[in-house]
Amino acid sequence: MSTLTEPLDRNWLQKQWRHVRLWRRFFAQAVVRETHYRAHFLTTLLVGLVQLGLGIVPTLLLFGFTQDVHGWSRAEVIALVGVYQIVTGLIATFVAPNMNRMTSYLTEGELDVVLLRPVSSQFYLTLRWINVAELTNVASGIVVLVIGLVQSDLAPGVGQVLQAVVLAGCGLVLLTAVWSAMSFLAFWLQSVGPIGVVYLSMVEAGRYPLVFFPVAVRTFLTFAFPVAFATTFPVRALAGDLNWWPVALGVALAVVAMTLVRLLWRRGLLTYSSASS
Amino acid sequence: MSTLTRNLRVVRRMTAAEIAQQSVYRGAWIIFMLANICMPIISLLIWRTALANGAQLPVDERYITTYFVLLGFVTMATSSWMAAFLANDIRLGKLSSWMVRPASLLVKFVANNLSEKFLKLFALVPMIGIVWWIFRDSMNIPAGAGRWALFAVSIVLGAILVFTIDILIAALAFWMDDVGALVQARVIIASVLSGAVVPLALMPSWSRGFVDHQPFRYTVSFPVEIVAGQLTGRDLLAGLGIQLGYVVVLAVIARLVWAAGLRAYSAVGA
Repeated sequence: MSTLTEPLDRNWLQKQWRHVRLWRRFFAQAVVRETHYRAHFLTTLLVGLVQLGLGIVPTLLLFGFTQDVHGWSRAEVIALVGVYQIVTGLIATFVAPNMNRMTSYLTEGELDVVLLRPVSSQFYLTLRWINVAELTNVASGIVVLVIGLVQSDLAPGVGQVLQAVVLAGCGLVLLTAVWSAMSFLAFWLQSVGPIGVVYLSMVEAGRYPLVFFPVAVRTFLTFAFPVAFATTFPVRALAGDLNWWPVALGVALAVVAMTLVRLLWRRGLLTYSSASS
Repeated sequence: MSTLTRNLRVVRRMTAAEIAQQSVYRGAWIIFMLANICMPIISLLIWRTALANGAQLPVDERYITTYFVLLGFVTMATSSWMAAFLANDIRLGKLSSWMVRPASLLVKFVANNLSEKFLKLFALVPMIGIVWWIFRDSMNIPAGAGRWALFAVSIVLGAILVFTIDILIAALAFWMDDVGALVQARVIIASVLSGAVVPLALMPSWSRGFVDHQPFRYTVSFPVEIVAGQLTGRDLLAGLGIQLGYVVVLAVIARLVWAAGLRAYSAVGA
């Protein structure tokens, strides 16, 4: 038992560890909650499957008219749709439930309560709520990825799988950072509810390989709205087309993006004048 | 005063009131319209790449470009979003207060639909204009005002058709507790069969007969085809005839279902 005078964390590492333990609690609580709403679980699964099917329709039609597009075969694009489904499924599970609450946090004064807690407020606002049912979309994404890989005769080695996982992870972090930045605009714009709609429709570009777009759009989708790291680069890594430079670039970009979002959050907090008191 | 003119006057007044109210959210309309043209632009770029890469499509680059540039406008102009709201009003008993008023509850939804579309136009038309200008070299621009007039007529008919389908789905709330799943199913089915995801011209040949004659084609694809495609005078006449036929048939069914629903309605919270 620690006394009240003792500091909560003695060093930086303990502070991070405390956040990890806290997040595990959030997750455990979300799982318990999900067991109470089994119909929600089932509908999320069904809707996810239908949307996955519909998302593949344009790709299937496209490859009915041609064998390959800029070096991508149908099987490779299907593998890419699988990766897309995995990454967007993870975002829908861990990030989306929080981003959709951002407006109410800021305009209803709920942020006041968060700021009083002995926890990083940005951590809390970005990762507090978890929608476990969306993990079914991650599972279906894995199935589609495996189907795509088998059909395309790709047999990635351990190094390539590692590259792909790191790149997809960077994509996940980058896309989360972009959505966070868009949501934190609520500090200045009051209502950002609809920004999630724009974000989700732009993420759709990740269903297709980067080379399907004109050069200017490719740059945009790599550096400004980095869906390229979430889908195109991991699949190219699995195909053995990449060395470690893009991986290093992805990690560097992820660090820069997280730092920028952190700064934006700090800047936003300065302008925040409680809505409840 | 006849019922029709009175209803029209009510719609006009309520639309004006809704516009005044909804213009508070003008920032949100701009953002929504931005999202509205995202998907068509992504699709446009993808299919142009496929064409440039040598894909043998049944349509040419001008068709694809014109189709996707106009798509965002037509989906907005013919859209309806009231099914869930109307079903709620029925389920929660808000319909009761309208039954003693001299106008139908549906009038409120007509006014809401018209006012939001009016405001969205201001956000959407400049965006479509910019995309049009970027791709101006490969756009189909039909000669003569006739096609544009038909385009306008077809959009109005398409809008009525979608609105009627929404009434039909929402009216099931008179007998069912939750129509949420049906609303969602309609959205998903319509997104493919209306041509909002992929132009119907690109659908495989074995599906032709069904795809060309099902009602959802006349909610989005057909109006766009009038401008983008090479429909002959005969095709146009037949298309408009079928569209009008669907509007009339569904409107009659909706009217019957609505009337039956009102008789079955037992107010909640009265």
